[in-house]
Amino acid sequence: MLEDLMLARCPSCRNTFSTDRAGRQDCPICGKPLVVPEQGAGSAASPSSETPPAESSGTPWERRAELGLVAGWAQTMQQALFEPARLFAAARLDRGNAQLGFAVLTATVFGAIGQFFGLAVRGQTQAMVDRMLSQSEIPESMRQMLRATRAMSTPGWFVAGIVLLPVLNAIFIYLNAAITHAFALILGQSKRGFPATFAACTYSWAPTVLLAVPGCGLPVAVIWLLVLTGIGLKATHGLKPGGAAAAVLGPYLLLCCAVCALGVVMGMAMRNAMPGQP
Amino acid sequence: MIARAGPPSVHALGLAGVAAALLGAAAVLPMDLPPLSLFACPFRAATGWPCLACGCTHAFHHFVRGEFVAAFLSSPLGTSVALAAAAHLLWTALRIAGLPYAPRLTMTPRLRWAAAAALAANWAFLAVRA
Repeated sequence: MLEDLMLARCPSCRNTFSTDRAGRQDCPICGKPLVVPEQGAGSAASPSSETPPAESSGTPWERRAELGLVAGWAQTMQQALFEPARLFAAARLDRGNAQLGFAVLTATVFGAIGQFFGLAVRGQTQAMVDRMLSQSEIPESMRQMLRATRAMSTPGWFVAGIVLLPVLNAIFIYLNAAITHAFALILGQSKRGFPATFAACTYSWAPTVLLAVPGCGLPVAVIWLLVLTGIGLKATHGLKPGGAAAAVLGPYLLLCCAVCALGVVMGMAMRNAMPGQP
Repeated sequence: MIARAGPPSVHALGLAGVAAALLGAAAVLPMDLPPLSLFACPFRAATGWPCLACGCTHAFHHFVRGEFVAAFLSSPLGTSVALAAAAHLLWTALRIAGLPYAPRLTMTPRLRWAAAAALAANWAFLAVRA
C-alpha cells in the first residue's frame, strides 16, 4: 500500500527513497547505514522540507501501479518525447528497476516490430548489399562489414536477434549509462551518483519507438536519444547546460566520429551502387 | 578506499550482470570466424587512425584467456575495463555472500586529470602501434 510508505533522504548521498519502516537501515542507493525516524518525529532525516516536491513523486511509469501499465507507459512516453524536463524532474533515483524495465520494454517491443518490418524489405536490402559488394573501389573493411551484414541476414540470426533482444538491450542500456557516467565523473559533472545518470539514460531511450520504422528510424532515434540524455542529466544531476552537454557528448563525440565516418563511406558506396550511376 | 556497506544495490547487480555477459561473450564467441571476424572499426577504416576504443574486443578476448600481455598490447583501456569488470563481478558475488565492505571511489580533481591523461595515453599508444 502506498499509504504505508514513507519518504526519507539519505544524509550521505542525498538521494530520496521510500521505505515501509522507521529505524536503522541501509540506504538502498548508496548502501550506507542511516536512521529513518518515526513519521511526525520531525528529525533531520525526514523533515517535511526535505521530502521531494510534488514533481518528484515519480514518473507515470514509476506510478504504474496506480495509473495502470498502459497509461503509465503512454504518459511516460508523451512526457519523455515532448516534456522531457518535467519527466526527468519527476524521476526517482531509487526506482532503477522500473526505469530499466521501461527502457528494455520500449526498445525490445519496437525493435522487434522494426525487425519484422525489415523482413518486408529484405530482398531490396540484399540486392543493395550485393551491388555494393560488386564494386571494386570500396574499402576492404567496408566490404567485410557488408559480408557480415549479408551473413547475418538469415532466419537463424533473425530468431536469435528477436530472442536475445531484451538481454542485449539491458546490456546496452547499462553500458551506455556506465560510459556516460564515467565521462561525467571525469568532467566533474556527477552530482548525485550513478542512479541519477541511470535515470537520465533509461528514460532517454523513449525515442527507440522509432526503431519500428525501418531505415531512417534508427538514426533519428539516436539523435533524439542524445538530446534527451543531455536534458535528463541536467535535471537529475542539477547541472548547468554546458556541463550536461559535455558529459553527454564526450562519449558520443568518439562514437560519432566512428558513425559519421561509417555513414560517409556507406553513403558513397550506396551512391555508386545505385542503378544508372557511372 | 574500502568502506562498510550493506548488500549490493540494484545498479551494482545490474553492472555485475553486464560484466558477466561481456566476459562470458569474450570467452565463448568465436572472434576469428565470420561474421564476427568481419567487423572492423569504421573510424580506422576511414582515417587510418585508431579510435579510442580500438582493440578493446581483442583485449577482452585475450584477457579471459589469461593472455594479459597480449591483452595490454591490444588495448590498455580494454584491459583496464576487463579487469574492472572482473573485479566488480567478484566483489559483488562476495557482497551477496555477506561481505559487508565495498570500494568507494571519490573523484578528486587530481584523479579526474589522471583519468583523462590515461585515456589520452591509451590513444597515443594505439596510434603509435598502428
